[in-house]
Amino acid sequence: PADIRDAAEARVRSAPAPVTDVARLCVCDLLVAQCDANCCCDPDCSAEDFSLFTACSVPAVTGDSQLCRQKAAVYSLDVEANPPERTFKLIDQVNPSIFCIHATNYKEALYLKSPEIPTPENFDQLLDKFGGATFSAEPDSWNLDTDAQNPPDANETSRYEFGVPVQTEDAFLRLPSPVVSSWCSDANPAGFLVNQATKCIRSVSVEKCDSIQALSMLFYINSSILAVKPKFLIPSVHGSVFQVNITVQSIVVQSLNGMRTALSSGDVLRLPMVLDDLCINAVLGVNYHITHTDTGEIIEAAAAFVLGAISKEALSIEQSFEISFTQENTQPVPLSGNPGYVVGLPVRAGFQPPGYPFPAAFLFAALALSSNRHSQLTILQSTASQDCLAAQGARAPVLFGYNMISGCKLRITAAVKCQPLAQTLLDVLKGQSFPEYVASFGNSQAQDVLDWVPITQLHISEQMISHTLQSSCQIPVSLGIEVKWTKYGSLVNPQARIVNVTATVTTTTLKQLPSGRERIIPIMSSVVFTDISSPAEPSYKAWPTIDIKLPFDFFYPFV
Amino acid sequence: NNSSQLSSLPLQILLYVNGIYYIFYFLATLAMIIYKSQVFSYPDDLLAPDLAVLFLMAILEVPRLYLGFKGNLTEAEAPLGLSLGLTVGSVVLCVYLLLWQTYVLWADVLLNALLLSAYGLESGLKVTAIAAFVS
Repeated sequence: PADIRDAAEARVRSAPAPVTDVARLCVCDLLVAQCDANCCCDPDCSAEDFSLFTACSVPAVTGDSQLCRQKAAVYSLDVEANPPERTFKLIDQVNPSIFCIHATNYKEALYLKSPEIPTPENFDQLLDKFGGATFSAEPDSWNLDTDAQNPPDANETSRYEFGVPVQTEDAFLRLPSPVVSSWCSDANPAGFLVNQATKCIRSVSVEKCDSIQALSMLFYINSSILAVKPKFLIPSVHGSVFQVNITVQSIVVQSLNGMRTALSSGDVLRLPMVLDDLCINAVLGVNYHITHTDTGEIIEAAAAFVLGAISKEALSIEQSFEISFTQENTQPVPLSGNPGYVVGLPVRAGFQPPGYPFPAAFLFAALALSSNRHSQLTILQSTASQDCLAAQGARAPVLFGYNMISGCKLRITAAVKCQPLAQTLLDVLKGQSFPEYVASFGNSQAQDVLDWVPITQLHISEQMISHTLQSSCQIPVSLGIEVKWTKYGSLVNPQARIVNVTATVTTTTLKQLPSGRERIIPIMSSVVFTDISSPAEPSYKAWPTIDIKLPFDFFYPFV
Repeated sequence: NNSSQLSSLPLQILLYVNGIYYIFYFLATLAMIIYKSQVFSYPDDLLAPDLAVLFLMAILEVPRLYLGFKGNLTEAEAPLGLSLGLTVGSVVLCVYLLLWQTYVLWADVLLNALLLSAYGLESGLKVTAIAAFVS
């Protein structure tokens, strides 16, 4: 019936009235239907519970102490009685001050306001008042109507901020990436200043390869990027916003066996086409380089492509995408810490250029700035096949603080020659370009010569005592890199600093095998980080000294 | 010559004392309103009426006292009657400050009660003075 429904609605519309009676208020009653320990005002406690208490956590419950007269509920525990019992008294508390509140005509002065319950009638008004990210405690009359002063301008633009999707003339700059599964999704926008690298799988078929858009270079450089972010995504308005075309920086062609060749004419557009059961000029990787100003405007965009061929049997290919942002007129140097190394970031390393030690600040500029992968400190990466000779070039960067161990197996037959094998193993262990210097701080600059630590190379032979040491040849079987680091700086914020790096190559004698037999030797490489920081010593302030000197003529005229 | 003097001496004294007391009352009440606005939660739309009432009372007090002095000294009943009318207005404002202010402190109660009693006594004396002048 209607009246019951109205009554129910009326009940729902108002929040429950606040409890203001001091006799019924209890601050320490936290557990529902259970007795709280040492809470003398808890109504769930019985006389036996009170006899176990030691003290009353809440001795008195009062209202606002500024009032001239008010009721107070006083709880105390009478420990003299046996068993201890709780006493409850309701007394009148008087505030003797002449500025006590005698009466007030403003209800919210003494109690918190009950919030309005939203109903269909007042919902819009409540949403206007409280719906924004902030709302003012001042009455509405004090707020100026800011919307009326600045009407939104369709031509308004704002600079790109970190994480904001980079906009192109029709949509966003796409960076295909795997979503949920490994299949490529083209709906992933690239965020400004968010350097990303993604790999995903795309399903292809060689017959239709010139019609698949995602395999063609045009798909990635078609739309031009807007230099600033417009307020509204209306394509017709964008004529006024400056647009940046994506240029083709370089094209690398990858053959079916994985060999890559850089094309000299890097700015020619190559579209996929079917040739002899192969689909050539299919995009296997795109590397975007965006240059921006320090105020958040994009001024240049370039894309480096890796094109490859898809064979007829392939049903899917893996595409890799990368985007990096560089500020104009700067060289990008990803730091591994500022200033101390951060655990998990790669250890920066480099070479000394020829001509050192002639002092010149720019000499170390040839030191690789870790963006060049080939000059990082790297360690052999274990592969699934575990074959040392097949795993050419698979290297993992050494990350600060992470001890790593990896290895592979080498199969030796009788026909293997020792000397070339030793050289090959050294290449496998150390990599193509093993650096000579390691940065001692995460942000060491190439010009600061003293901030770089030389790598000490040691050679240890496994069999020290052997009469055949001199004559037989040694092959390296393990490389151990030990990085000693220390804590540097203040006690509360210590920075990691690399002090010493030692690369130890352990060699063993290659015993000649009888023909037909073969042996498997395990090859190991490891990186160990050791903390050699001495325990911190707090230093104390020196005792104040009293330094008194009498003036020269203090005893004048007696002296 | 006492018998021919109709001006009321008690009224004169009371008016004089009232003037001095009112200056003290005005400054004290203003200071307390400032204190209340800092210590308690005093929204602007409740502070404005209280201040308006206080200033209105101050504006009413000046002509009221002047007319009272003038009427009593010149033994004219018209200014005294006008002063009585203004007293009624002052009494209403005083009752507002006593009962319907946002925060009524104990000091407020004392000051306003004192002022109200002074007004009451004054009104009585003015009525007798008017009766004396008319007859």
